[in-house]
Amino acid sequence: MEKKSPSFGKTLSLEEKLAILADAAKYDVACTSSGVSRRGEKGSLGNACAAGICHSFASDGRCISLLKILLSNECIYDCKYCLNRRSNDQPRATFTPEEICRLTVEFYRRNYIEGLFLSSGVVKNPTYTMEQMYQTLYLLRTKYRFRGYIHVKAIPQAAPEVIEMTGYLADRMSVNLELPTADGMQRLAPNKSHSHILKPMRQIQNGISEYRLSIGKDSRMERHQINSQLSGSIFSEVPDRISGESLKDLPGRRRKPAAFVPAGQSTQMIIGATQENDYQLLTTTQALYQKFDLKRVFFSAYVPLNEDPLLPDLGTAPPLLREHRLYQADWLLRFYGFHAEELLSPGRPNFNVLVDPKCDWALRHLELFPVEINRASYEELLRVPGIGVKSAMRIVRARHGSVLDFDGLKKIGVVLKRAKYFITCKGKMMYAIPIEEDFLTRQLTGEDSRSNWEIEHPQTYRQLSLFEDMNMEMPPTVEDVGKSVSGQL
Amino acid sequence: MEIYTCEDQFESMMTCVYEAWASKNGHSNVRLMLEPVLEPELFCRYHHVEGDPQIAQKVVRSVRRKISRKAYEMMYGAAMSFRPEKLDAIYRFLVLGFYVGASVTDLLGEACVNTVFQLDRKVKNEAHYFREFIRFSSVMDGRILWARIDPKCDILTLVAPHFCDRMPSEAWMIVDGVRGMAAVHPPDEEFYLTKISKDELSRMEVSRGKTDPYAGLWESFFHAVGIEQRRNVKCQRTMLPLWYRKNMTEFQ
Repeated sequence: MEKKSPSFGKTLSLEEKLAILADAAKYDVACTSSGVSRRGEKGSLGNACAAGICHSFASDGRCISLLKILLSNECIYDCKYCLNRRSNDQPRATFTPEEICRLTVEFYRRNYIEGLFLSSGVVKNPTYTMEQMYQTLYLLRTKYRFRGYIHVKAIPQAAPEVIEMTGYLADRMSVNLELPTADGMQRLAPNKSHSHILKPMRQIQNGISEYRLSIGKDSRMERHQINSQLSGSIFSEVPDRISGESLKDLPGRRRKPAAFVPAGQSTQMIIGATQENDYQLLTTTQALYQKFDLKRVFFSAYVPLNEDPLLPDLGTAPPLLREHRLYQADWLLRFYGFHAEELLSPGRPNFNVLVDPKCDWALRHLELFPVEINRASYEELLRVPGIGVKSAMRIVRARHGSVLDFDGLKKIGVVLKRAKYFITCKGKMMYAIPIEEDFLTRQLTGEDSRSNWEIEHPQTYRQLSLFEDMNMEMPPTVEDVGKSVSGQL
Repeated sequence: MEIYTCEDQFESMMTCVYEAWASKNGHSNVRLMLEPVLEPELFCRYHHVEGDPQIAQKVVRSVRRKISRKAYEMMYGAAMSFRPEKLDAIYRFLVLGFYVGASVTDLLGEACVNTVFQLDRKVKNEAHYFREFIRFSSVMDGRILWARIDPKCDILTLVAPHFCDRMPSEAWMIVDGVRGMAAVHPPDEEFYLTKISKDELSRMEVSRGKTDPYAGLWESFFHAVGIEQRRNVKCQRTMLPLWYRKNMTEFQ
């Protein structure tokens, strides 16, 4: 089949290529620059900050941290959900490695970006594509002496050697799972299979743990320090944890080994393209954290781009609230010591649209509340709706010095909007509130309904204006002007 | 009431704290204020304190030794705020700090600690925003990277070290348009602060006007990367408030 493109027969300018390849890459959600800390060096450009730095926010409110582009949007595959699938009539473009390096370095010097996010359609074959990506990274790290952040996609089915070599140049690697069940994968991406995706994921995981052991760290990625204080978080029960302490002083070690994907790997799943429920998504997420030691799992609300009988219709709005709920639950897994099975079950497979997952959990476990702020353990505080990691930490710190009351809580920045229904200070609640499920549900949903609605309908909400909406505006007449001068009504 | 006043400079503030303490009037009988004092009160005596680098050094040294490094960082952050109540809050914070020691930074229930904590947090947050949102333009044929900021708090000394580490071998300069100060970084050297007059600033603005080819590329990237179906201007404004956009390339 001949590919038509508006630029057929002429070479594209750098700006046109950038517009095409940034546009094609934007549906990938991972844009974090976190997980690795690296000081700058004389003669080189760049450093990395463990918390990550966002540099701008696009019109959809998502952060722009990395220069997110594809190496090429040519693709030999025909995945149904993808904009760059072979059968789509799209303008196609391919960057040369030099072009990507120049863009990255010049953008970085101007503080536009924190680094590079490089993905690609599959050109010719997976190994060839991965080689091109490797070459880009190699140039960037050596010729351009770039020490900023690099996130690169591993192409499934590429030769393991190329993936490994790329891993030594990148900070983070990711392989997109896209669809959590094998059945969905079979239907929407007939050229891919789960085993093709999990193989490079496992390879990168092994590479990371080898590297970590060789520098004397634990074989598994660090998690937020909170998790060490929690007794039953999802990270505390993984079996094959090896401590690297014993390997630290092995004889014969002279040079520091080259870092292999020091910021860990991530993945993303599309939600809303197939019929998977939240329970399946969340248990898959938990399994990925535990079995593959992923640093992050991202969710991407499916934006319909292609017409296909197996996919939602073109005008369907992306399920933004559902995506939001999944991220909330993801945070509960990673920072609050929750398990997927506590939040959802096969009998209740989807999140409540009205209240967030933590409130929802609390409403089903009212026997544990109210919690006394001055005595509760850190773990108990974390499970109170409305109290987050920072607030809980501040409470624990502040109550050393004095007994906390509600005013004190407000002062140290604890938001009581939700928390007030679940806590006591010095044995008293803020108001006389019955701890009763129906009442609390009503209160909490009332407070959240507006913000939930705004998440689901980001563009439609605005203040109704009688004059603008009903075309009732009239230009002032001469008499009006005269009246306004003389002050007469 | 004895009131000690000084300029809005870190050195002067530290000297002012020292003088107020050394006057031995009793902590409850002194108050510290920033100049200019617009509404003098009755029954108060006003003492102007001139900044003295040696005394300021002394105060800084004892805070770091006798309280803690963290307390010093908190106090320094608070001192960079634009709010006038910062000076007296710092004084009360130090009074308590020299009494209880390093644990003072945890006593968030105390009003003075709380004020200093909040001022510091505000300043550090703003500094972090500017670390993200400062935009350099390449001027003088690409030899110098030049950026202008108009921050509310005096965050120049808080952001410059970040860029020193990041671009150690580049010549760059960040100008604070509000205070007429600039952080200048020659390649492979430490940065230094210098005063910039209004004329110099406007001349620099003119030379920046010459178009930087990468500014256009960045703008086209910025517009390509937003997903139309997810458009959410309110969220964008929450994450990147409008007043920060004044000097940002993509919003010009």
